[in-house]
Amino acid sequence: MTLLVVATYPVVDGPVLEGVVTIEPDGGIAIGGTRVPSSQGTSAMLGAAAQVAAHLGTPAPHALVAGDIGRGDGTRHVYEHLVEVAARIRPSVIAFHYMQPVMALMRRAVEQLAESVPDTLLVADAGGMYAAKAAGLANRFELMTPDVGEVGFLADPAVTHPAYVSHYLFGNEGFDPVVLAGRAHETGGAARVLLIKGVRDHIARDGVIEAEVDDPCVPELEAIGGTGDTVTGLASAFLAAGFPTVDAARCACLANREAGRAMGATPALHARDLVAALPGVLRDNLCRWGGACVV
Amino acid sequence: MRLFSRKDKNQSPGAEEALGLFLFEAVNDAIAAERALKTAGYDVHLVAPPPHLRAGCDLSVAVTRVEHVGAERALAEAGVHVREWVNDTDGTASICDLVTSVDFGEWLMVRAGNMKIVVEKASGVIVNTSGGGCPDIPYLNLELVGKRVDEVPRPKDLGYTLCGLMLDRAYVEVRSQLEGGDVA
Repeated sequence: MTLLVVATYPVVDGPVLEGVVTIEPDGGIAIGGTRVPSSQGTSAMLGAAAQVAAHLGTPAPHALVAGDIGRGDGTRHVYEHLVEVAARIRPSVIAFHYMQPVMALMRRAVEQLAESVPDTLLVADAGGMYAAKAAGLANRFELMTPDVGEVGFLADPAVTHPAYVSHYLFGNEGFDPVVLAGRAHETGGAARVLLIKGVRDHIARDGVIEAEVDDPCVPELEAIGGTGDTVTGLASAFLAAGFPTVDAARCACLANREAGRAMGATPALHARDLVAALPGVLRDNLCRWGGACVV
Repeated sequence: MRLFSRKDKNQSPGAEEALGLFLFEAVNDAIAAERALKTAGYDVHLVAPPPHLRAGCDLSVAVTRVEHVGAERALAEAGVHVREWVNDTDGTASICDLVTSVDFGEWLMVRAGNMKIVVEKASGVIVNTSGGGCPDIPYLNLELVGKRVDEVPRPKDLGYTLCGLMLDRAYVEVRSQLEGGDVA
């Protein structure tokens, strides 16, 4: 029931860190006892995942990260350690997050993981998702968590990064997640389940929308860096705890929105504020949403 | 399609069709090359390399083949390392230029592709950046948030990836909307 998060943290030449994720008394995130900077990105994702594990009483997330500010050096170090770490801790879920999207590295990692931990479910968001899709490996993944713009990228077989997504997919009303989820599935650009983050969240399985979540509506969440990362952390942790994937995604959307409402979200707040609101949100609602009642 | 022209030179008919690409090891090398070549008088475009030449997070610079030698010398003089020159431009793609904005009252959010920047209107302070998935995005978040938008370096000068480049487009747009006019 362990979640392994594979990612980077924003420190120049930061060493490889591996270990259990903890939330410090001031809300900071530590990996194996070493603090990482608090920002949007993987620290937000880890914070949300750790709150779910604490609430459910499941093992705290495990992380494998290295310092990388976009040069790709830390990403390469992480890939060098990935197979050994996965074989040792035998995670039920591996989530790839903020990483330099290098197709060759992702291709080799997925091949090796299929041999060493064949039953482990793979999740991808951020650069991990970009690399998986660009390498033609999306359908090897159980869950991806794109935002509305990124699902345009997943649906566009010609591109290897969201920066090159084609205009024709934008349509007159913007990206249509229902259409693009189906298209991404048909063209091999989607994981089995997509959690598409937006004004209305859509959850698609095999290209077909299975659930939509739009309440509570907290538009300010889009402006807060890391609130998409917290959704990914929540969904990954629920999945690692044994929730069916669509339920994990749905509960993640509900919890993130409710935490946004509870924190009184404004565009000037931060993902750590949302993470701090999660214990109360999970305590008061998760039993009702997902049947995961904790006594 | 005419991608660009060099403004200070007369071109022979059809010259704009004969394009080649400079390829680089890293996105920030391509951004530095664009800057160096524009400074040297070339009017160039950043594009995605053709699919068979991509590694994942790639950016290349298109230039006319006839100007290849001079442009390469300009890059060498600027200290920009070029990985390779290719004559083949089939399959190149332009960078997404979808830019939208949301007015939150006290705050303005601008999206460029899937990258977002949020600025408090009264103070000009960047209160959030979000979107993207490359490792320079959390780094840029730490470097930019809490500072005035007109006092920070441009994201494309701090970042290293296509996500950073897209955040730069949002940065330029938010400054344009708050201050009026173009951003240098």
